Amino acid sequence: MLSIVCLQAATTTVTTTKPSAPAAPSTNNNNNASKQPEKEEPSTVAELSRYHFELCHPFEGKRSTTQADQLVWLASRLVTRLPVRFLGAKGQKDLWKTVNEHSLPARGFNLRKYKKRQQQHKGVDSRGRDIGEYTAKEWGIRQEKRVTLSCLQLQSQRFRELRDRQKRGFVDYQTGDQVLVTDSEYTEEKQRRREMERLSRELYGAERMARQGKLALDPEWDDVVPIVMEDPENALAAIAYSPDYAEAMSYLRAVMSAKEYSPRSLKLTEYIINLNPAHYTVWLFRAANIFAMKLPIPDEITWLNQIALENLKNYQIWHHRNLLVEHYHPSIASDPPALASFATSEREFLTQILAEDTKNYHVWSYRSWMVGKLGVWGNPEELRSTEELIEQDVRNNSAWSHRFYLVFSDPENCTPGEKYAATEADPKVPGEIVDREVAYAEEKIRLAPQNQSGWNYLRGVLVKGGRGLSSVREFAEEFVKGLGEGEEGEEVRSSHALDLLAEVYKELGERERADLCLRRLMEKWDRIRGGYWQWRREGLELAEVAA
Amino acid sequence: MTADDLPNPEPTLDIDRHLKYWKMCLQSPLPHHYLSNEGNRMALAYFIINSIAILTPHANNNNNNNNNNNNTDNNLITPQDRRKLRKWVLSHQHPGGGFSPASSLVYPLHGYEQSEPETGSQPAEAAGMANAPGTLFALQLLALLADEDDPERAFDGVDRAQTLRWLRRLQRKDGSFGEVLRLLPGQGWFIGGGYDMRYCYIAASIRWMLRGDVEEGEPGWVEDIDKERLTSYILSSQTYDGGFAGSSQEEPHAGYAYCAISALSLLDRPLQTTSQPPPPSPSLSRIRDLPALIHWLTSRQFIYLEHPPPVAEQEEEEEDPVNFLLPPLTSLSLSPPLIASNGRTNKVADTCYTWWVVAALSNLCQLQLLGDWAPARRFLLEKMAHRIGGFSKYPGGPPDVYHSCFGLTVMSLMGEPGLQKLDGGLAVPVVTVGVIEQARGELLRRARGEGKGKGVVELGLRMRGGTTRPGWLRGVN
Repeated sequence: MLSIVCLQAATTTVTTTKPSAPAAPSTNNNNNASKQPEKEEPSTVAELSRYHFELCHPFEGKRSTTQADQLVWLASRLVTRLPVRFLGAKGQKDLWKTVNEHSLPARGFNLRKYKKRQQQHKGVDSRGRDIGEYTAKEWGIRQEKRVTLSCLQLQSQRFRELRDRQKRGFVDYQTGDQVLVTDSEYTEEKQRRREMERLSRELYGAERMARQGKLALDPEWDDVVPIVMEDPENALAAIAYSPDYAEAMSYLRAVMSAKEYSPRSLKLTEYIINLNPAHYTVWLFRAANIFAMKLPIPDEITWLNQIALENLKNYQIWHHRNLLVEHYHPSIASDPPALASFATSEREFLTQILAEDTKNYHVWSYRSWMVGKLGVWGNPEELRSTEELIEQDVRNNSAWSHRFYLVFSDPENCTPGEKYAATEADPKVPGEIVDREVAYAEEKIRLAPQNQSGWNYLRGVLVKGGRGLSSVREFAEEFVKGLGEGEEGEEVRSSHALDLLAEVYKELGERERADLCLRRLMEKWDRIRGGYWQWRREGLELAEVAA
Repeated sequence: MTADDLPNPEPTLDIDRHLKYWKMCLQSPLPHHYLSNEGNRMALAYFIINSIAILTPHANNNNNNNNNNNNTDNNLITPQDRRKLRKWVLSHQHPGGGFSPASSLVYPLHGYEQSEPETGSQPAEAAGMANAPGTLFALQLLALLADEDDPERAFDGVDRAQTLRWLRRLQRKDGSFGEVLRLLPGQGWFIGGGYDMRYCYIAASIRWMLRGDVEEGEPGWVEDIDKERLTSYILSSQTYDGGFAGSSQEEPHAGYAYCAISALSLLDRPLQTTSQPPPPSPSLSRIRDLPALIHWLTSRQFIYLEHPPPVAEQEEEEEDPVNFLLPPLTSLSLSPPLIASNGRTNKVADTCYTWWVVAALSNLCQLQLLGDWAPARRFLLEKMAHRIGGFSKYPGGPPDVYHSCFGLTVMSLMGEPGLQKLDGGLAVPVVTVGVIEQARGELLRRARGEGKGKGVVELGLRMRGGTTRPGWLRGVN
């Protein structure tokens, strides 16, 4: 009521005053925000909304002291804010008169709306550009994106509801079927979320929208609360890894903690293994998943082959393989053809990977274990593929070691139960095997006399076969001529031959000659091991060496 | 081999430069390529803190060679930092015993609520995972980060009994050790980690650091690991050529040889170290072929020759060398300029193998067989030390924390001036071994009920209104 009284008073005043309102905008042109629309078209959305606002509110933000100006201002306020019919007939007439005289805008958005607009124009987009600087067209595109995002959010909401209904076992009221979320709906939702994430980031910038990880966006993981790891202020050896890895680990922690063995857990281990194949825990969790879900081991081995080829220096991969085969073996142990074919496929893969890295320790360790587990003894293929590697590189000590194992741990050739140590003679080793291996070593040593692998092998074979080292005296002497006969006459083609000869002569009781070998090694042929040769000389217990 | 033969004066170890490298590793996150070690973060932490300890002269150090680096940053780790870092290390302790090797394997505390550490039942196992290397490095770190004036409290917070019980469960029937326990569906308890001499060494180290001389029946007694089985497992892993591998059926490896020898030595090591290196243990004399082992170990050294730059037409030369270059025998009479070590016969040079080989011989008390140290030292400083500090794996490579640490440990073992003297069996400075001994003593006093904290747990329980211990408190004295 009060307002109407005031209004009447005001309108009365308006009618009795000579207006000077049209001058008002121009008299206030020191306000730099106000632009003369005739002079410059507003181009950005901020300018445009200000321009529209000013058109509707010619007096907004301007103050005039004259009563006439104030009346015009009041008229402009009234005409835009009140239904005019509330005024009396005279009041209406006067109001319209003033409005017409001063061309006052009779409609227009109000201050609240304007403030809202201004709010929308604040801030920066994902490229750091001020949104107020957008052209009307760009603004339109942006608005369209916002609408798209809202629609996607609705669809996503619908998806969640549908999945929730499925979980609760609801039926469709029209068809009476169980509510089911199809795979394609999952895929769509996944894409939708990626799109939503992209749009959000584009619209609101990286600062306001923290990047969501792959798993957080995946509808499959909605029900898992990741266990995020946070380092305290003082921590050692933090690694600057990617946000993707951090996210994946936080989900892994959640599923491991819940002992969730499921296809998605398995998928998660694969994802993490691709990011970091060296995390032993992930591998153990993967194995647990495979065993819990009773997945076929050969499939896993096929998958593993590719990972192994991509990560040659990885230890965990081979431990995992070991575990798989250990688990798989009982199911084929009583089926010789299956066992043989599995052993063959293993050998083929090992040959392939050793071609990439001939001395890979993990592969060779696995190989020797595999031979024992699958009983590949006596398989000529196994020996042949090892021989091939020695032929390619006679200094490949891994292949030599494997050969020793293949020959001398073969149940056919040795006393069972590891009764004799690797460095001890085993009476069960057949003489012809020892002959064959001695011949093999000698042949390879002739190819490369300074190759230690061959000499170590020869020595190992003689010890294992219970033969004296002196049985290869002539062979070793081939590499040493004129020992101790002065710089000119002395010719040594292998320091290892000299080393072995020292033992040969010691065995034969020719201690002086043994000492000569060691002395010449120390003085000339292998000086870097001076301390060692001296120690060996002391072991001969010759009077003058000790002195 | 004498200094007269050498054209150049001996290079010096630039301690400040190495400290600068380690300062960087200490203060900023390690770059992304360390990701593969994320699961072994405690090891990385050990490399960093151990190296800083080796490079920093100790207040009570008797080493008279530390005049030249008194001006180095002695406070790289302040006493407050030490406390906070110890707290961080302790946060990795698992209620079921042992330490997790990585923070990503430590769960928020509520994850342990249902844990049953005594039996190691499922819930405790599910949340968080202790492993053997994580435990070794955590204990070493606690000792390395001890307050200088309160060394006996270094192991405060360590659950000695529970860790020793957990350690026992890592031993397999054949005597060997794995690194981790895991319940595999349908398979029961599984001791993970493969047949690896490293875990045998780690088990022997943890046992030496924590077990002490509590007799059966005394409070604080925990059943021991099967020492005899472990010893025979190690002894049976000697290979035909004298070295050691994960088993006698594999290729011997210098790292495994170190682990085998050091494990044997630690199993009989006296609880208080009176001389460096400690006297050879009786177990070492049981090595089946000791001369062959020494032969194999000394054979790991070789004259380092640079590979010639690859020639364009020789395409096969471009791939990584798999063998070291053999010098022609006739030129051997020349004084060897540089001596490197490999880990296996005919393999290439690597910084860490100088350490594994030298330390293995040192633990056998056969260091004199090594001959002249200068050419090997020169190899490390001229070929492996990097200009930003640290050591690399191969000549000309970038430094990394693993090789940088073992470059320093071997130099310190060989008495490099300005470095802390190292204990070859535990791979920490001799002063840190003293800390471990004091800290163990304090844990034992408490276990016997003589410690400072006697009755505190009981008091706390009474205040809580009960006497039954919650699962996570079991085993705390």
